Amino acid sequence: MKAVHYLNQFFAGMGGEEKAETPPTVLEGPVGPGRGLQAELEGVEIVATLACGDDYFAEHEDEALAALLGHLAEIRPDVLVAGPAFGSGRYGYACGRLVAAAAERGIPSVAAMQEENPGVDAAGAAYVVPTAVNVAGMRDALPRLGALASALASGRELGSAEEEGYLTHGFRRNYVAEKTGAERAVELLLAKLGGDVRTEVGGDLDRVEPPAPVADLSQALVALVTEAGCVPQGNPDRLASVRAQGWFRYELGGADTLASGRYESVHGGFDVTLANENPNRLVPLDTVRAFERSGRVGRVHESLYTTTGNGTPVVVATKFGQEIAGELRDAGVQAVLLSGT
Amino acid sequence: MAWELATFPPDLLGEAEARDGVAIDVVPPGSPVRVTHVLDAVEPRIRPDGRAAFPTEGRAGEGRTNRLDGVVVLSCLDFPGEERPLHEQESIVDLAGPGAALTPFGDMTAVVVTFQPAGGGHVAIDAEARRVALQVAEEVARPTLEAESSEVERFELRPAAESLPAVAALIQLSDLGALYIQYVYGAPAGDAALPRVVDPAEVLDGAVTCGEYHWAAMRNPTIFFQRNELIRALYREHGKTLRFCGVVLMRGYEQSADDKQRAADRAAAVAGELGVDGVVITTDAGGNSHTDVMLTCRACERAGIRTTIVLAEETDRESTRPILTDWVPEADSIVSTGNVEEMVEAWTPERVLGGDLLLDGTPADTAGPIPVRNYLGAANQMGQLALSAKTA
Repeated sequence: MKAVHYLNQFFAGMGGEEKAETPPTVLEGPVGPGRGLQAELEGVEIVATLACGDDYFAEHEDEALAALLGHLAEIRPDVLVAGPAFGSGRYGYACGRLVAAAAERGIPSVAAMQEENPGVDAAGAAYVVPTAVNVAGMRDALPRLGALASALASGRELGSAEEEGYLTHGFRRNYVAEKTGAERAVELLLAKLGGDVRTEVGGDLDRVEPPAPVADLSQALVALVTEAGCVPQGNPDRLASVRAQGWFRYELGGADTLASGRYESVHGGFDVTLANENPNRLVPLDTVRAFERSGRVGRVHESLYTTTGNGTPVVVATKFGQEIAGELRDAGVQAVLLSGT
Repeated sequence: MAWELATFPPDLLGEAEARDGVAIDVVPPGSPVRVTHVLDAVEPRIRPDGRAAFPTEGRAGEGRTNRLDGVVVLSCLDFPGEERPLHEQESIVDLAGPGAALTPFGDMTAVVVTFQPAGGGHVAIDAEARRVALQVAEEVARPTLEAESSEVERFELRPAAESLPAVAALIQLSDLGALYIQYVYGAPAGDAALPRVVDPAEVLDGAVTCGEYHWAAMRNPTIFFQRNELIRALYREHGKTLRFCGVVLMRGYEQSADDKQRAADRAAAVAGELGVDGVVITTDAGGNSHTDVMLTCRACERAGIRTTIVLAEETDRESTRPILTDWVPEADSIVSTGNVEEMVEAWTPERVLGGDLLLDGTPADTAGPIPVRNYLGAANQMGQLALSAKTA
C-alpha cells in the first residue's frame, strides 16, 4: 500500500523562513521525519513526499491546494499523512486544509499536530493525531501517527477516538447502547443522587444578550420577521413546510393587513387552520399598522421576512438569522417584531 | 392496589371485524415490508372483566389485563385533501432491512390497519382512526379470554425502606392542538388536569394513548406507554436501589413562555409533594417541547429535586455544535436517545403497506436513504430503546 507524506519547507530540508515561499514540490520517497515515520508503518510505503512553503500555502491557498491535490490524484495513495506540525500555526493549517480536502475526495487522511493548533479545525472530517507543542515530541508522535496511518491504509473500520488515538471530530454519531435509555436514565439519576454527575450529551448554546431597549419607538423603523412559514397565497417561492433551506423577503406594499386568501402559512409543525383564517395571528401586521397610524411606532418596514422554523438545525437557523439581521441593519431598521410558532 | 398483566403467545391472534374504509393486513415478523404513514403502534390488550382495555372512564391499572405478546397493531393514514396536515412528517416502520433494527416492530407480527377515509376533515378522521385502532387492538386479543396465559406479572408498589432514595418518573405529554395531542383516559393532555400523579400501573394499562404525530422518531406511540421501560425499570429497582414513588404526567408543548414556566413550576411542585429526591423527566416530540423539558428540569433542581432528562438530539450531521435545541445549566444529566438527523441506508422492500407514496411524493419502495427521524419511535424520548449518540 502507498502513502504520501506532506511536509513544510523546513521539515522537507529545503530551508527555513527564507524558503517559506517555495511552491508545492514532489520529492521521491520519505524525507526528513518521513524516514522515522516509514519505520512505524506496517505494510505501507511512503512513495512520495509533497512539500510546500508555509508562506506560499498561506498566500496562495487555492493554487497550492489545487497543485497538491493534483499530485495526489496522480499518485493515488492509500493514505495521506501530513506533519507532525506540532504547535506551528501556519504549517498546521496547511496540513489541516490538505487532509480535509483529500478526505473529501475519498483519500483516507491523517495529520498530526498539537491540540490547540488552528489546523485541527481546518482538518474537517480527516483524522488528527495529537502531538506535543514542539519538535521534542517527534519520537512520541511518530509511532501513533504511523499506527493510525497504517490502519487507514488497510481500510479497516476505525474504533473510537480513544481506542485509536485521534482527536474527536465533535460529530455526533449514533450507536446502539447495551442498555435501554430508560435503564441508563435510572442509573444516571441514582449516580447523581450519590454525588456522581454524568451526562451522555452536554449543552452548548449561544446565549443571545438582549440589546438595550429602543430609545423611542415612535421614531423607530420596525420590521416584521417570522418563522411561522407565512407566505403569499400559493407559496410562489416554494418555501418548505419543514427543514427550510432558506428564507424569503416579501414586499408589503403598504398593505394594512395580512388578508386571508392573500397570505397563508405552510408551516408543517402545527395545525395551520386557525392561522390561515387570519394570517395576522402569525404576523400581526394589522396591529402594527394601527400603532403606526397612532404614532406608537415610527414606521413599518415594508419588507416582511419569513422562513419555516420546523426541524431546522440550530446551525442553519443561526445562519438565516445572521443573513436577515444583516439586511435589516442595512435598511436602517431599529426594532424587529419576531413572531415564533 | 395491584394490577396483573397476563401474557399470551402471538398464535392466539384473533381477527378484527370488517369495516368500511379500513384495510387490514397481517404481516409475519421479519417480512420484507415497509409500512408508511404510520400514526400509532398499539399492543393488543383485552380485559377479562369486560372493562375497556383503553378506558375513558374508571381507572386503569387494577385487576387483570391480557396482552398478546409479539404482536403490534400499526394504524396508517394518509390524510386526504389538498392540505395534508402532516406535510412531510412521514412515519415509517420497516419490518426487515436496516431500518428494522431501529424499532422493536420487525420482530413482531404486525396487524396493519390502513384507513381510507371518505372525508370529514382531519380532526374527525383522526378521532375515528384512533378509536378504531384501539378497538382493533382489543378485538384481536379476544381469543386470550379462552386461553391459558404463559406468564402473569404483578405490579404493586409495596412499602420500601425509607433509607432508599425516593424517585418518580415525570412523563411529558404533548398537546399542541389537532394531530399533536397525547390522550389521558381519552382526554387531550391539555384537558386532563395535568400535572397529576398517577399510579405507574395506570400508564402500563392503557391510560395514555397516542395522537401525537410530530416527528416519527421522537413520537411516543401507545405501545411505548403500555410497555414503558422506564416504569418497568423503576418497578424492578423498587426496594433494591430506590423507592419508586409514582408517575407525574405533565403537559408539554405549552404555547407561551408564561405557560411553559407555569407548567414546569407546577410539575416540580407536584413531584415535591411526592417527597422525591430525584426524577427522570421524559420528553414528547421535538423542537419547543425541548424547552418545556429544560424549564421543568430547572424548576425541579431549584426545588431541590435532582433530575435526569431523556432527550433525542437534532444535530446537523456536518456540524459539531450546538447539539441540543435548548439547554439550561441545571441539565447536567441527560440520556441521549440518538441523533434523528442520521441517515439509514437504502432498502427496497418487496411490499409496501399504508400507502405507496411517501408524503413528499417519493415512491416508498425506492425512497433511498431515509433519516432516522422518519422511523416511528426510533429515538423516542422515554428511553424505550437502546439507540444513543456519542461524539466521534
